[in-house]
Amino acid sequence: MKPIVFATLMCTICYCADGQAVDGATRADWPHYGGSQLSWRYTALDQVNTSNVKNLAPAWIFQTGDYSEGLQATPIVVDAVMYLITARAQVFALDASSGKVLWHYRYPPRRPGIAGGLSEVQESRGLTVGFGLVFFGSSDNHVVALDQKTGQEVWNVAVDDPKQCGCGISAAPLLVKDKVIVGGNGGDQAHRGYLTAFYAKTGRLAWRWYVIPGPGEKGNETWKGDSWKSGGGAPWMTGSYDPALNLVYWGTGNAASDFYDGARAPSTDKSKDTNLYTASVVALDADTGKLRWHYQEVPDDLWDFDSSYEVILMDREVRGRMRQLLVHMNKSGLTFVLDRATGEFIGVFSTPEVRNWITGVTEDGKLVGRNEPKVGQLGNFCPSAAGAKSWNSMAYSPRTGFLYAPINEICYDLKPTDEGPQEGHGFMNSSMDFKLPPGRTTYSHLDAWDPVTGKRAWSYPYKYILLASVLATAGDLVFTGDPEGNLIALNARNGDKLWSYQTGAGHRGSAISYSVNGRQFIATPTGWQMGLVGGLGPSLFPDLHIRSGSTIVTFALPEGSR
Amino acid sequence: MNRILILVIASGFLRAQDLAAVVKRGEAVFASTCSVGYCHGSKGSVGSAPRLAARGFDQNYIATTVARGISGTAMPPFATTLPRADFAAVVAYVATLNGVTNSSLGGQGSIPPTEPEAPPSAEGARGRALFSEAVRGFGRCSTCHEVDGIGISVATPMSQIPASVSAFRSMSTPQVSTARTDTEAMPALVVSNTKRALVFYDLTTPPPVLRTLEPSALTLSTGSSWRHSSVIESYRDEELGSILEYLRAVLKP
Repeated sequence: MKPIVFATLMCTICYCADGQAVDGATRADWPHYGGSQLSWRYTALDQVNTSNVKNLAPAWIFQTGDYSEGLQATPIVVDAVMYLITARAQVFALDASSGKVLWHYRYPPRRPGIAGGLSEVQESRGLTVGFGLVFFGSSDNHVVALDQKTGQEVWNVAVDDPKQCGCGISAAPLLVKDKVIVGGNGGDQAHRGYLTAFYAKTGRLAWRWYVIPGPGEKGNETWKGDSWKSGGGAPWMTGSYDPALNLVYWGTGNAASDFYDGARAPSTDKSKDTNLYTASVVALDADTGKLRWHYQEVPDDLWDFDSSYEVILMDREVRGRMRQLLVHMNKSGLTFVLDRATGEFIGVFSTPEVRNWITGVTEDGKLVGRNEPKVGQLGNFCPSAAGAKSWNSMAYSPRTGFLYAPINEICYDLKPTDEGPQEGHGFMNSSMDFKLPPGRTTYSHLDAWDPVTGKRAWSYPYKYILLASVLATAGDLVFTGDPEGNLIALNARNGDKLWSYQTGAGHRGSAISYSVNGRQFIATPTGWQMGLVGGLGPSLFPDLHIRSGSTIVTFALPEGSR
Repeated sequence: MNRILILVIASGFLRAQDLAAVVKRGEAVFASTCSVGYCHGSKGSVGSAPRLAARGFDQNYIATTVARGISGTAMPPFATTLPRADFAAVVAYVATLNGVTNSSLGGQGSIPPTEPEAPPSAEGARGRALFSEAVRGFGRCSTCHEVDGIGISVATPMSQIPASVSAFRSMSTPQVSTARTDTEAMPALVVSNTKRALVFYDLTTPPPVLRTLEPSALTLSTGSSWRHSSVIESYRDEELGSILEYLRAVLKP
């Protein structure tokens, strides 16, 4: 196994289709939500490594004081300043070497939306920085740009009315060239999802792309009647960007209503694209927002397995040929490997250990043995809509060639109804009663997967669920946090646990790495999200004393021990 | 004696019927509002959010929590987002999940109408839908106007309604100024202008952008080339007629 991985690695570094392998590593800065625009969550910094990680110690700690819904963010670091957003959209600029506050901004009281709508849940997960501005979205659908030096508002634009759409913005925007691209949530409501791009300097609209094509547009024929108007598909996380191809990649959410397709699926043939472009990965022209290609992962998604998660871009040798790859996991845990220039299917693998929603996938990526929820019938499905992986991101290391994925083993009961839509209101058509699968003692695992072979190289089992992102480093370390409060470091090559530190609160955000004056820092948000998927912590594991909070804990090697 | 007893029984019976209706409604509200998405499980069972059945909650606690939410959690306040009768009904339903059976459940025991007052005509109802029609993207009225609780209040509340569709089309907007920087001119709806900051909506392209600049960065002049008629282009005349009908019905000058 090892010689193969090594050969692949050599190719990644030395040769590529266009002569230059894409580099998704970060260095001193952590400039984007996914580290780089390729979303590797991998740092080329290697000061902290497998042999000295045992010496890693807290360097500084910062408490935001805004503990609502924990701290779900990925901090951004640019030029030794850390930019951080809390779940309720308080924004901080901190000295990244000391945690000293440089400025603090509070988003004003938000406009209430629709009872039970996602706009009512405040869960800002990130921001982006560029052009001297700090950009974020709010749960009541404003996109705001702050002055990077002072934190004063520079522009502010209302994208939608939460009282009408029931939708909000929780994802970090993606900065691409002169535009800031923002995805919204609300795809479990009667709502039509979209991405919107604004000119970074002025806030003016650049383009909008509706996930669901309107009448006369290609793809609209994959919807029954008027169902496209309320068909969901919200692209509620952050996309990626390939500068060479000038393509923006985004995952799109499930169709609505989630668990009943009688009013939206025009055909019973589930082998074909249904309800485009939901449950898909799409490639858009970065300048115009025009669709270049799509790949629908779960045609007629009936499990809320929305494909809205991070899109990881890498160049790897596949069957003797260097390929420009895109790797993407949806909530089902199915992980698709595509050619990112064309959308061509290359491979797929399934990551959860407990699975009954399909019996398998064909070699060309078609789902086999669909076990669908049926109106009025109680059914149990695995994995659940909480996700074999939740929205927290995987990491990719070009040194090992592995993807590092936190996988949860949770099932759920559904009993769908056939009710119709009411604009902006919940449109899932079933409650979800989450259950632990019987016969297990551990309910999650952090895995290393080779995306080219589709093989799991190692797996680190964990008793509860894992809902924090993963960070990979050139020191061959993999970091993640657990709900008990531990930040852990594993050996990236074999999964051996090398270090852990009890930070005092559960982990639901995303650890990053950066350096200031040559000193490497590992920084992790702490503070469990008690609602939504985070709520499964206390509800499924009564013995788990889970703590919220909102704190950045930063680690480095003590001076003199490096 | 017998007569009184019969009356008591009868009123108790009616109340129980009303209560059953309230609880039934509460169950429906719970299903559409509480046991949704990643929140409570069906019938108060374990979901992402905590179990609500058989927790020993009393009616006051339930009503207060539903109204105010729980700070620091995903439990939002429903006091302003849930119609009153739905609120009372869902409190009653959750109370029954906790074994509360007293007859004060559900407030008065009757179900007042909760739908917003319907516009008086079919045309007005159509106008309401057109005003905020999502398929129009940023070309809909609600991109800049808030009426009856829907829309973004970029423009100040409407003080008068155009008398006809042609008046609607040719409406002048003297309140829109022109802001000039070194490099460009833009139509600007000024919100505030102080020594420290000029705050205005840049109307160059919908949706309007609320911008904050140092006053020295711009010069302002009255009037602009911006025309209301260009942002309502997506509406046909008969659609504008319906919108006018709707505005007349809800704004009642």
